[in-house]
Amino acid sequence: MKLIEALNLTRQMQSRKGETLRCFLASGFNALHLKTFLAAELCLIFADRKIELSDGLYGDLLGNVDRLAKSDCEVGIVLIEWPDLDPRLGIRSTARWGAGELGDILATARTRVQQLQQAIEEAGQRASMAVCLPTLPLPPFAVAPSWQASSFEMELHALVHSLSSAIAQGHQVRILNAQRLDLDLPLKDRHDIESEALSGFPYRLSHASALAALLARVAHRPAPKKGLITDLDETVWSGILGEDGVDGVSWDLEHHSQMHAFYQRFLGALMSEGVMVAIASKNDPVLVERAFGRDDLAVSAADIFPMEANWKPKSQSIARILDAWNIDADAVVFVDDSPLELAEVRAAHPGIECLQFPTKSDAAIYDFVLKLRDLFGKSAVSEEDSIRNESIRRSRSNGPARSGFGIEELLDQAEAEVSFNFSKMPVDQRAFDLVNKTNQFNLNGTRYMESDWRGLLEDPSSFLTVASYRDKFGPLGKIAVLAGMTNGRTLKIDTWVMSCRALSRQIEFKCLRELAARFDFDEIEFVYQQTERNGPMREFLSEILTVSPSPGCAISREDLEARLESVMKPQEVSNG
Amino acid sequence: MDEQQARLVNCFLAVFPELSADEISAATSTTVQSWDSVAGVTLLAVVEEEFGITLETDDLSRFDSFQGFLNYLRQTEVGDRH
Repeated sequence: MKLIEALNLTRQMQSRKGETLRCFLASGFNALHLKTFLAAELCLIFADRKIELSDGLYGDLLGNVDRLAKSDCEVGIVLIEWPDLDPRLGIRSTARWGAGELGDILATARTRVQQLQQAIEEAGQRASMAVCLPTLPLPPFAVAPSWQASSFEMELHALVHSLSSAIAQGHQVRILNAQRLDLDLPLKDRHDIESEALSGFPYRLSHASALAALLARVAHRPAPKKGLITDLDETVWSGILGEDGVDGVSWDLEHHSQMHAFYQRFLGALMSEGVMVAIASKNDPVLVERAFGRDDLAVSAADIFPMEANWKPKSQSIARILDAWNIDADAVVFVDDSPLELAEVRAAHPGIECLQFPTKSDAAIYDFVLKLRDLFGKSAVSEEDSIRNESIRRSRSNGPARSGFGIEELLDQAEAEVSFNFSKMPVDQRAFDLVNKTNQFNLNGTRYMESDWRGLLEDPSSFLTVASYRDKFGPLGKIAVLAGMTNGRTLKIDTWVMSCRALSRQIEFKCLRELAARFDFDEIEFVYQQTERNGPMREFLSEILTVSPSPGCAISREDLEARLESVMKPQEVSNG
Repeated sequence: MDEQQARLVNCFLAVFPELSADEISAATSTTVQSWDSVAGVTLLAVVEEEFGITLETDDLSRFDSFQGFLNYLRQTEVGDRH
């Protein structure tokens, strides 16, 4: 935030009608622009309240903490810099320093730390406290060169750390994380020597802005999220379970997918802190159960509840999870690598925070976990947190799904486009690979040698349809293949496969509609054969035929068109 | 009013919101009641940040009016950063 923005924000805040939040900033230096930034950040966070930010007297941190305790403030913010422990540790003092004074400086600092501890603990009994320990570098008082830690400096740092450990015991006192400040703004960019000499304000504007943003968050204490619902493929693990198999998905160094194990470990950590973790995945539940049986998983499946693995829209799975957890959507985060799935869930459950799992970069996954930590972080884990998870597991509700959302509307909003190519030659390698690799949405599990496939395509009465998909989130490429024969007035489909990633986009219905538009037939026959893994195909054919499919099952054109009409809206497609 | 002057006016408006844009062009530390040392330091910081410069504070008297700031910006040829 720029200073001009902060000034304008605080001015606009004056016209707010809400209840006043009284805050007190206790520092030993001239708070000047930090006070402006802090007021502006508090305005943003406490958007429904007026902010009243008081401060104390220059050069009197201890006195200001006492003033804070005696005020009627709700929120107290204490900022400690080195000169507050001993004025000789600042540039505005004219006192001598040298090897002979270092011991006396340490003694003064010890006394001041004890006084501050007592004052902050007392203030913490009256107000919610945010405390910030020194953020600026120590002046070059130590005997050692700057690249070597001197015993003097280490003792000062130890004093400050002992202070933070002592005051952090208090429920009302929270300490700003120095590591987070280091990540946001390096030490070398914080100190404004000229400003400190001129006005007593020691911070560069960038430091004041960054510090104010963090202090406001420490002061705010947002409620942590309570539940995380995660996808599996390309999220909990690298790979697609339905295509790569139980042993083909990975989360290890050998497959350069170690960061998925990092994510699994984080899920485990969240569960140990009382966060509820569930799965919402479009997958074969049998395969998912087997995958979670692997003994090299970095997270325990026993603690994950519920585990929704099916081929229905994820919003329905999530509705059941919310029912089982009995918490509001705004306490939940949903993680998925697919923008379309996130959009579908976001539309059905607007309160849920939907986050895209990054797939292209280990560093991005690390940053993503940091973001999740910010959403779920809490000061302490209570015994109730652990008990809650177990009691929910025991009293699982199987009630109806809370809400659903029209997939058609979602696909419209996603600007989904399906294109069909009916060319048989030259042989499409991707289509051939799909036929031989797909297991779940597969009509009969037949595998072809290349010569057999070529022979099929060379038959004049054969047809081939290759469907490609793209939407505003990007292309999926070629995702479905249908092949068969025209046999009089019957269109016989003996090959039909579709990639798992394309499920729930109604592409399977669009394929049938496209065939109905392209070919003149009275009936479609499916060379169906049940396999161990083609459950999704079985479910789809059951929906189309309205009975369980059997080998050679068929549907008339009239029934097919009526069925498609009831499921889909008319839509533009392009043909090749 | 050119862009440089307009941006300087915005800086002054942020520090002295009670002034109108017309009053700002004539503003000085003696004519504006709220122009105290804190406002002066704040104004320096806002202008430095807005124009991406470090003002020479060895002679602060030149920064005691809107015209003083504007003349400095013109002399140092601080233009459009965007």
